[in-house]
Amino acid sequence: MKRTIPLLIVMVGGIMMMIQFFIPHQISQAIFGLYTDYVPVISGFALILGVGSLTRVHYHKVRRRADNWQYSLLVIVTLYLMPVFGIIIPASIGGQAEGPSVFHFLYNYVQIPIQSTMFSLLAFYIASAAFRAFRARSAMATVLMLAAIIVMMGQVPIGDFLGKWFPATGLWILRFPNLAGKRAIQLGVGFGILATNLKIIFGVERNWLGGAGK
Amino acid sequence: MTIWDRLFNIDRRWIFLLMGVVTVVPFFFKMGLPVITTEEVEGIYNHVDSLDHDNAVMIGFDYQPGTMAENQPMSEAVMRHCFARKIPVFITAFWPLGNGLAEQAITTLTDPAKPGTFQRVRYNEWREYDYGDEELPDRVTHAELVELWERDHELREDAMGWVFEGVDYVLLGYAPLFHIVLLGMGRSITSQYPSDLYGNPTEDMPIVKRNKSAREVDMGLTVSGSSTVLSWLTYARESYGMPIAFGVTAVSATDYLVYIQSGQILGQMGGLRGAAEYEVMLERDDYAVEMGRAFMGMDVQSIVHVLIVILVVLGNIAYFAGGYHRKGRRLKAGR
Repeated sequence: MKRTIPLLIVMVGGIMMMIQFFIPHQISQAIFGLYTDYVPVISGFALILGVGSLTRVHYHKVRRRADNWQYSLLVIVTLYLMPVFGIIIPASIGGQAEGPSVFHFLYNYVQIPIQSTMFSLLAFYIASAAFRAFRARSAMATVLMLAAIIVMMGQVPIGDFLGKWFPATGLWILRFPNLAGKRAIQLGVGFGILATNLKIIFGVERNWLGGAGK
Repeated sequence: MTIWDRLFNIDRRWIFLLMGVVTVVPFFFKMGLPVITTEEVEGIYNHVDSLDHDNAVMIGFDYQPGTMAENQPMSEAVMRHCFARKIPVFITAFWPLGNGLAEQAITTLTDPAKPGTFQRVRYNEWREYDYGDEELPDRVTHAELVELWERDHELREDAMGWVFEGVDYVLLGYAPLFHIVLLGMGRSITSQYPSDLYGNPTEDMPIVKRNKSAREVDMGLTVSGSSTVLSWLTYARESYGMPIAFGVTAVSATDYLVYIQSGQILGQMGGLRGAAEYEVMLERDDYAVEMGRAFMGMDVQSIVHVLIVILVVLGNIAYFAGGYHRKGRRLKAGR
């Protein structure tokens, strides 16, 4: 029963969604409307599950004084502090009504710089990786390296300045050889998604139930 | 150890230091090299330029602060274009953090300290204002509201125009499971967003009264640093035919060019370059008094790309001159 009911829900739901897409009848549209209204509400409960699970994992780490437990404490504090400042105490730092709230202050001056910094580090690693990876070790590696150099130079104004052929060739590489490869991969992925979806809807693929299909 | 060995096994921290230095230099010595526009970005620009107050655009702030250096100038450029042409804008977010970025973009475009920005009037401000004998029309248009508002208010001298919340834009913000929200908006916008980010009921807003569902929206721009853009394609473009445009980071730009060629999207802004191209066209057509941040950032990108190419060339010279291409000469891992 624990497996049959979820399988039935998925089968009925999946078939209904397919029908409503291809047969836009009033009844199917009404069911579809009901679905789009309810799904975000149901998904809201996943948030409770997520916050509960995160709290439990990090609480145990703090209690056991596991390695780097201080970070876990920080996770718990910030996890609950942001909603408190966002919902319960939406006041500004100085208490003025016009000033930005503590929530906005933390968002603008802590969260944004942290995330931006993490992403910016990528540029440094890419530079180092390019130095070590783009080597003319073989004919194929040489083609890859030359394509990378042309596309890189074609993407920036200094490439236009050095020679009009840089952006023209760079765009040609992106629009033709790149697209040919991408299209083949995406078609394969698309058929794969379709096949997997049908297998899940008709109960052939059951790994999502847990227990590796037992 | 020869010079080639040293170069070949250079400590990566030297590369990091070089990168740091060349990133800072353009802030002091501006190059201002011209940016040539491509048809990928022109496709979006020309479409927006063909719209006016009777149309509507939906902009999805579907990115997080990590990619805002690339994505934020795109959103701001298209939003500026819409504000200048009085095209109503619906603003949504795929992630909760998109709300703050959307607010930041509106604040930047309506900053009174900067020339060429817009003068914002908040929803409650114009809604609850006493217009005397005049009655506020139920589906008031931008032009009608400007006429009423300017009886008692004066536009800032260096401003490009008024922007009324609820008429010219509405910040709908984040909603969970956004792909389902996109589907639902095809039926009705108020069913998915009964109120805006600030709690104002959307059903009372003229922008929503004139565009009841996403089917009536004439372009959806999804600005993102991930594959969330595909949700717009699947659920808005293919489900109810909303014309879609992408604004994506440079690393993922090549993934989505296929959709331009297949005619499924109007165009794509790829990375900072895409945003810079849009800014060039805005300035050319007098929608902006000066170039934006993306154009300024292209100087940095130019120098960094040249540095990477020089490093690649040097690495290859060291590879051959140091004899590493011969069998038996093993490569060291390097730091």
